[in-house]
Amino acid sequence: MNLERLPNEEKLTLCRKYYLGGFAFLPFLWLVNVVWFFKEAFVKPTYTEQLQIKTYVKRSGLGLLLWVAVLTTWITIFQHFRAEWGEVGDYLSFTIPLGIP
Amino acid sequence: MWKIDLESSKWVTFIVFWLFKNVSCNSVAQKIYVELNNTVPCVRLLNATHQIGCQSSISGDTGVIHVLESEADLEWPLSKGPNPPYMVLLESSLFTKSIMMKMKNASSRVAGVVVVPKTSPREFSPHTTCPNENTGRRISNLAHCNQTVWNPRGNGLSYEEFDFPVFSLKEDNETEVIKQCYFDHNRVVNGSGPQYPLCAMQLFSHMFAVTDTATCMRRSNIDFSSSPVMVCDPLGGYNVWAFIRPYNSTAFGHKENESVVIAAARLDSRAFFLQDSTGAEGSVSGFVTLLAAAQALRQATQEAPPTRNILFAFFHGEVFDYIGSSRMVYNMKNNKFVIDLDNVHSILEIGQVKTLRSGSNLFLHSDPVSRRNNTVDDEVTNLVNNLHSSTAGLNFSFVESGFSQPLPPSSFQRFLRARAIPGIVLADHQTAFNNRYYESFYDNAAHLNLTYPSNLSPEEQLEFVTDTAKSLTEVATAVARALFKQAGGNDSQVNNINADPKTVTQMLYGFLVRSNNSWFQAVMAPELKDVLREHSATTDANALTYLVQYLLANLTGTATNLTQSQCKKPDELPNESTYVYSYLWVQGMVPPNSTQRESFCVRTAVRRVMAVSPAFDLGDYVSKEYSTWTESQRKFIKARIFLVASRDLEMMTLGVGVAVLFTSLLVTYFVSTKADVLFSAVREPANAAY
Repeated sequence: MNLERLPNEEKLTLCRKYYLGGFAFLPFLWLVNVVWFFKEAFVKPTYTEQLQIKTYVKRSGLGLLLWVAVLTTWITIFQHFRAEWGEVGDYLSFTIPLGIP
Repeated sequence: MWKIDLESSKWVTFIVFWLFKNVSCNSVAQKIYVELNNTVPCVRLLNATHQIGCQSSISGDTGVIHVLESEADLEWPLSKGPNPPYMVLLESSLFTKSIMMKMKNASSRVAGVVVVPKTSPREFSPHTTCPNENTGRRISNLAHCNQTVWNPRGNGLSYEEFDFPVFSLKEDNETEVIKQCYFDHNRVVNGSGPQYPLCAMQLFSHMFAVTDTATCMRRSNIDFSSSPVMVCDPLGGYNVWAFIRPYNSTAFGHKENESVVIAAARLDSRAFFLQDSTGAEGSVSGFVTLLAAAQALRQATQEAPPTRNILFAFFHGEVFDYIGSSRMVYNMKNNKFVIDLDNVHSILEIGQVKTLRSGSNLFLHSDPVSRRNNTVDDEVTNLVNNLHSSTAGLNFSFVESGFSQPLPPSSFQRFLRARAIPGIVLADHQTAFNNRYYESFYDNAAHLNLTYPSNLSPEEQLEFVTDTAKSLTEVATAVARALFKQAGGNDSQVNNINADPKTVTQMLYGFLVRSNNSWFQAVMAPELKDVLREHSATTDANALTYLVQYLLANLTGTATNLTQSQCKKPDELPNESTYVYSYLWVQGMVPPNSTQRESFCVRTAVRRVMAVSPAFDLGDYVSKEYSTWTESQRKFIKARIFLVASRDLEMMTLGVGVAVLFTSLLVTYFVSTKADVLFSAVREPANAAY
């Protein structure tokens, strides 16, 4: 979808939808929000809705960073300690690698 | 002339090429790899606490082949050699614990080990020094071989864990190919390293299970995965047993006023490579003797049945913490067997019986702890007396081993663990084992001195009575007579009980030399005749237990006149009952003048019952009471050799390829940016197509 052809109010609604949608445990929507609307929010010359779009993009970015931190920490811990956790590790796994602890 | 347009010319080309494709096919893979088909891998086994055996990585382990010439030569793969990792090829004389442990400690430079079995070393036992020390009779001060070390030559190699694959080559041709490849490419010239390309071998034996039995059983049983992968299988086999007076097999539990003498022997054995087990002295001598004794008792027990019943029990899985006998004792204790422990009067077990020469002695082992009880002691003395008197007129004698000596590892120990039952274990060793190759691949026909004159055909060898067979026949006669007396049989009948040397020698030949012989074929069922393959039946648990079942059936059962269809459904006949007997349709011999076998139906009291450790029934995978051994599953086992190039050549090829990729990207970019300059052809007028 080409943002060039949209009027500014529709850009704002789109950005808001993606921002609100990301709260439903969907951090990828925030990622898309940030990447897509970055130019709109910070590069383009000012227009009325730009301030709100800027806040949405900033907050999406924050939420995204939070998610990345949490997921990275959990994944590192799990990959490192799954073997030691024995039973708990096995019950948390979907596929268990064969032949290694 | 036809007009061949584009469409039909495509079809013609397709058909022409398809025809050529079916005519010849040349595989590049076949030009690179030489597959080794006749190999036996070392597999991973797990129990409640450990994993033992070998593991390869999931995409195989590759190493440059090195043929080891001596223990000092180990320096080359372990430290001096310039092209690690190495795949070490050993002859069997170098397959020792010290060499294997050195390689285990340097496993970053060793990709795998290949063993070529050749001449037997003087002694070699990869088993532990104290077999089954945790699951035998519970004795406080005599446990863990405090008093007698049963297997002093044991180096425990079978119970070590290696993280590289270890294979054994079975075929000489393949060994020659490997050695030729090694001599062509890998020889060290004047101290400097050999030049690339080098001969390398790749071994695949990726095992799925890890850590211990509890982990792998848990992983096999996890529910939510869409296709659960079975990661390990419990070890187990089949027990074969037969009463001389059979009971109704659906009536479990205690039988009033029934007293049973159990005559037991073990069926199985192992080697470092699980599929290589032979167990000539370790197990075959024992169960062949018991089978011959069962045959000898057939006539006498039918004419003058003794007061007590006799149960011939052949246990499988004994080497792995008494799987078979623990299953029978468990069934007896939990009313899942036709008798229970109260019905058992006494036990006579036949252990390792290799009689060296005529006039040598066999030893009677008993359990000193249970003999502290006077009633038990009296019964044991009675049994010993029966055994002594049974050797009258025979060429050997029984000698009691020392009174305070504990019982050697035997199935009897599991019965004692449940209850103090009087019993004797027969063995050819007084204290430590005489068997120099206990639970090893070298415990074979040659070790039992089974020698045949060289000019005999296989059928003549089958019939030839060797000296070993003669001495085992005498042991079987003594055992049969002792059992008859122990069961309360009439003394006047005793001297008519004689084992048949022809049966003994045929069984020894079949189990240790060649199982695909005419007698074994005659006793088996038609649908099982493929079970007898060229190599020895002791390697395959299924083949072994079927053979013992059918042999026992033929030796102790009766041939009937039933037809094949009647044999499958004998309950319809008035006098036959499948609750008491089992009916087996066997192939029978081929009479001399025809090609058709005379098959017949045997009515027998023999049962072949699956024996898996009770720990798996109870779900207790960390059990200290029962065997928890499992074997890992694996996808495939493969071995192949090929030539490898040096690392530098590989990197250079990769580098050139990457360079070509980037060059082509650059060229494409430039061409596309300057396209209007390069391709300034005459422009056709653009058709307004849209």
